[in-house]
Amino acid sequence: MRIIYADNNATTRIASEVYEAMVPFLTENYFNPSSMYEPARSAAGAIAQARKKIAGHLGVTDAKHILFTSCATESNNAAILGTAKANANRRHIITTSVEHPAVLEVCKDLQRGGYKVTFIPVDGDGNLDIRAFVRALGSETLMVTIMHANNETGVIFPIEQLSRLTKQTDPSIVFHTDATQSVGKITIDLMGDYRHVDLLSFSGHKLHAPKGIGALFIRRGTPCRPFMIGGHQEEGRRAGTENVPYIIGLAKAMALAMENNEEEQTHIRNLRDRLEKSLEEKITCVNVNGKGAPRLANTLNISCHYVEGEGMLYQLSAHGICASSGSACTSGSLEPSHVLRAMNIPFTAVHGSVRFSLSRYNTEEDIDRIIEVFPEIVANLRKLSPYWDNEKNMPRPDAEHLLQGTG
Amino acid sequence: MAWEYSERTRQLFMDAVHGKPGTHLGEIEDPDGIGEHGSMACGDAMRFTFRVKRHPSDPTKDVIVESRYLTFGCTSAIAASEALCTLIEQGGYTPIEALKIRNGDIVKFLEGLPEQKIHCSVMGAEALESAVFNWAQKRGVDLERLGVDIHADEQEEGRIVCECFSLSEPYLRRKIKELNLRTIPQITNAIKAGGGCMSCHHVPGGLQDLLDEIWSGETKQVAPEPGKAAKGAAKEEPLSPYQFAKKVEKTMDEYIRPMLQRDGGDVEIVDIKEALVYCRLKGACAGCAGAAVTLKMMVETTLKNVVDERIRVIQV
Repeated sequence: MRIIYADNNATTRIASEVYEAMVPFLTENYFNPSSMYEPARSAAGAIAQARKKIAGHLGVTDAKHILFTSCATESNNAAILGTAKANANRRHIITTSVEHPAVLEVCKDLQRGGYKVTFIPVDGDGNLDIRAFVRALGSETLMVTIMHANNETGVIFPIEQLSRLTKQTDPSIVFHTDATQSVGKITIDLMGDYRHVDLLSFSGHKLHAPKGIGALFIRRGTPCRPFMIGGHQEEGRRAGTENVPYIIGLAKAMALAMENNEEEQTHIRNLRDRLEKSLEEKITCVNVNGKGAPRLANTLNISCHYVEGEGMLYQLSAHGICASSGSACTSGSLEPSHVLRAMNIPFTAVHGSVRFSLSRYNTEEDIDRIIEVFPEIVANLRKLSPYWDNEKNMPRPDAEHLLQGTG
Repeated sequence: MAWEYSERTRQLFMDAVHGKPGTHLGEIEDPDGIGEHGSMACGDAMRFTFRVKRHPSDPTKDVIVESRYLTFGCTSAIAASEALCTLIEQGGYTPIEALKIRNGDIVKFLEGLPEQKIHCSVMGAEALESAVFNWAQKRGVDLERLGVDIHADEQEEGRIVCECFSLSEPYLRRKIKELNLRTIPQITNAIKAGGGCMSCHHVPGGLQDLLDEIWSGETKQVAPEPGKAAKGAAKEEPLSPYQFAKKVEKTMDEYIRPMLQRDGGDVEIVDIKEALVYCRLKGACAGCAGAAVTLKMMVETTLKNVVDERIRVIQV
């Protein structure tokens, strides 16, 4: 059976060009870039080149701003904990209620350690409450850590505006953004519109590089202490022998993403829009989460009321379609999506949410196939649902009441 | 990190190691000047010797005719030693003239050195200085009276904290105390440390750590900005935050909003923090390309004039 992969916000396939660029460094060029002999120099040179290219794609001329890490989670931990460590006199952090756990849980852990953390809320479309953000900025504020694009809904936060407001209030507040979902999709110019951002995290495996490589942009002079301490690598700012092949892979993947960015994003957006429109037409009682906010071109988070997400994913998977859900049963923690809950999406819809996230490798046929099978999957599950009136094809009048009874 | 040496550096190193004719490895027996310099930071040390053609009557007119070095060190240290000897012999200098050779000349001769290796060129210049000093003693030349400051570049040895400028921990500690430096920008401005790649700012044992350690005994006291505190005290009783906010709002309602409303726009105060007033333009103003200018010119100027000159308007 052909696999239709529509879960690219979880991870992506490795581009063949990326794989090929990595092979020499997985085979004959295995040297430690810190060593002195000639072959090792070529490995060190390749890293320097890769660093320069990656910096360039972010509008940065001085490659020293870019550190390589093992993943975006490490980058986020390094950014937040490193900033806290370097600025012991301030103990207030501003973040949002819809961050990825790699930020949210770090902030909560600092909260347990006595830090004050403000979680800025979002509205029903997932837009950030800018007024609440402005009010939260204070003289005690150590840092702001706010994601660029949401992994579940694709909603994009106005990082340019938020970082500007932060720096205009107090230049010593450190501004961090988790740009894991946006790098390679949205053009980010860290010397232009994003010049107020001090720290920016991302990883390779969301843009067709392998898992196990991440990066952290640290603007010169940002007070952020190293997270990994040891050798002199990365000038002592992130110790540990460089992951040469993966660094090369990341640079290649970024080059691929940025070279045809506009064309590629248009292709992806067209596919997503067609999928969205067709599902909205063919299925009753659905809503697209984040529809009223600026969104990534590749993400469709759709809620089918009164159906459970896992059941949908299971049937999709029987058709070879890979997607994910914000339902409690799929999360591993038995908690429904904190992102959709923060958007005040009712439980009936949170549990019935499915996320399709596309990439450059998706085709019109993929979309046709999803449109063909998904409405029937929903219909099948609704037939089983105690909340659904199958004759009228609408929720039973007492559905809300029943739900409340079951909690 | 593997070092990126120039072709010239690598060639000089290879020539010296293989004892090619014309290279200067060795030690002159019974030299006219001998100088040593070692840097713990790089694990290298140099012994530099030279012979002069003695002037029959005036020792200051002695001319260096031969120079040799023994260097324990890395590629660039040996290449820098070669460079030093070549420069001296080519120049036909007197010892005092030779002092004009700075580490920059050595770097230039080597067609560049990696930032982290600049201190290797400094070592050559330092060894030369001490050899000239030795020659002066032997020949009874009073350098001080000739106006030659032999210790101009004196610097304590120790762990290098700022690699870009090759500044050691003991040196930084002394300067931080001497000059009463309290912040990283102050250090950078005063002695350049941390002004290059900036990676020494917040690493373990970096500039911030030195500052914290040196000043930890004292309570953190940021010097007040000149004039700021004095000014506030001299004026009449300042407004409470509540009174301040009220006055800003009143000014908005009386002067600013009517003007904006005439053009179909409006302004909302999102927040007030001390002298920062956060505003959001609404209606016709919100989409206006000149919104930022409107806020700055009209709203801010009005608030400054009516309420407080410190006010800064921030567009939300």
